[in-house]
Amino acid sequence: MKTCQDLQKDRAAFLAGELGLERRELMESHLKGCARCRKEVEEMRKVIDAAGLLRGEMEKAVASVDWEALPAKVADYVFEKAARPRRLTLAERLRPLRPVMVSVYAGIVLGIILGSLATFLVLKRQAPSAVSDNKFFASPEFIDRVELEMARRQTLDYLQKSQYLLLDIAQASSLGKGTGMAELASGRAKDLLAKKKYLNPHLVNTRMAKAKAICDQIELLFLELSQISDDLTEAEIKRIQGMIEDRRLLLKINLVEKELEESEV
Amino acid sequence: MESGRSIEQGDVHALVKEVQKGNREAFMTIVATYQQRVFVMAYSMLRNKEDALDVVQETFLRFFQKAKQFKEGCNFQSWLLQIAKNLSVDYYRKNYRKRREFESPISLDEIQAAAEPDPASSSAGEMRDVFLRGIDKLATRQRTVFVLRHVDELQFHEISETLNISVGTVKSLHFKAVQNLRKWLSPYMGITS
Repeated sequence: MKTCQDLQKDRAAFLAGELGLERRELMESHLKGCARCRKEVEEMRKVIDAAGLLRGEMEKAVASVDWEALPAKVADYVFEKAARPRRLTLAERLRPLRPVMVSVYAGIVLGIILGSLATFLVLKRQAPSAVSDNKFFASPEFIDRVELEMARRQTLDYLQKSQYLLLDIAQASSLGKGTGMAELASGRAKDLLAKKKYLNPHLVNTRMAKAKAICDQIELLFLELSQISDDLTEAEIKRIQGMIEDRRLLLKINLVEKELEESEV
Repeated sequence: MESGRSIEQGDVHALVKEVQKGNREAFMTIVATYQQRVFVMAYSMLRNKEDALDVVQETFLRFFQKAKQFKEGCNFQSWLLQIAKNLSVDYYRKNYRKRREFESPISLDEIQAAAEPDPASSSAGEMRDVFLRGIDKLATRQRTVFVLRHVDELQFHEISETLNISVGTVKSLHFKAVQNLRKWLSPYMGITS
């Protein structure tokens, strides 16, 4: 036995006469026994019958048209339209030009590609690879100048520190045992010797020749100072002070310093 | 609804071939054969004689322009009615929706919300207006199926061919259309649901 739910969707088709024999019989037997479905089907039938209002109206409209004359009228309209040159779409307008345009477009595209390629190659050759790799570029001249300036500043610093140490030694009345001065001077001399080692590569530059000469002399003196021990004799102290004086180291340092200060890069 | 003369399917294909060559007589024969069918389709959608005749002209113009695209073996009437249906739907969308809203500022819902109408006192003219407004309120596909079945009196399988959808879909759309109309029109038809 089919339920109301099973047959619900068949109701409209039943009223439209579109149900197969089997389902129609099922529906008819169900409707006999189901008042609720019968009522709903009746309501739907009223809706479908209402379409008759429109159908009657349409029949009047159909009757009012001159069907004998219409084919000729339609043919006139259609053949006139067909004879009239149709407004072409943009694609259709361009179609006659297409064989020519294809080669023109191809030429333009090829030109753009080749031009771009040539420009790329030229620019690539001109630009140093470092530019693209490191995103920073400095000319060799610039780097030389920077290195010279660094050497100048470091040499000045070295000379000033050496000058202070030499002044201390020259003015000291005693570096003897128990004063601690000898040990201090020896430590400072060792520091400056280490600094000199770092300075040596910079002093190779020809513009630093004078500075190199004085730095080398100071280095010798500091080598000796670095050997100073607590049991340094009075005679040895005198000898070092004599070396500073004999070689006019302080004066030379002053001169070289002045020269370096003036020759700022 | 019966529509004019009828010709065999094979003859139609021969006529279409002639139309492809530009034969005016063949074209007029096809128009004479199918004009009423096309008119009924357009009128049932637009409900205006002049507009329906415009659609008839446009349908045959479209047929003439696309005759070469018609494939032998296809049902010519369904193909032509598909063109007519598409043109009618376009025409309706362009010109009718707004026009009918303008003509009927009161919506169906508002009418329903008003005092309960007495079905006995509703005149045939009022009933017609309410019914037509209900038809307009239906979704396009539901409206098309309902009108084709109950105004054009096409069978479900013919509607299926014309709209290029399955018979099952036609049945479902028809059911929904009837249910919706029943719901909206109930106060005017003495329906108590």
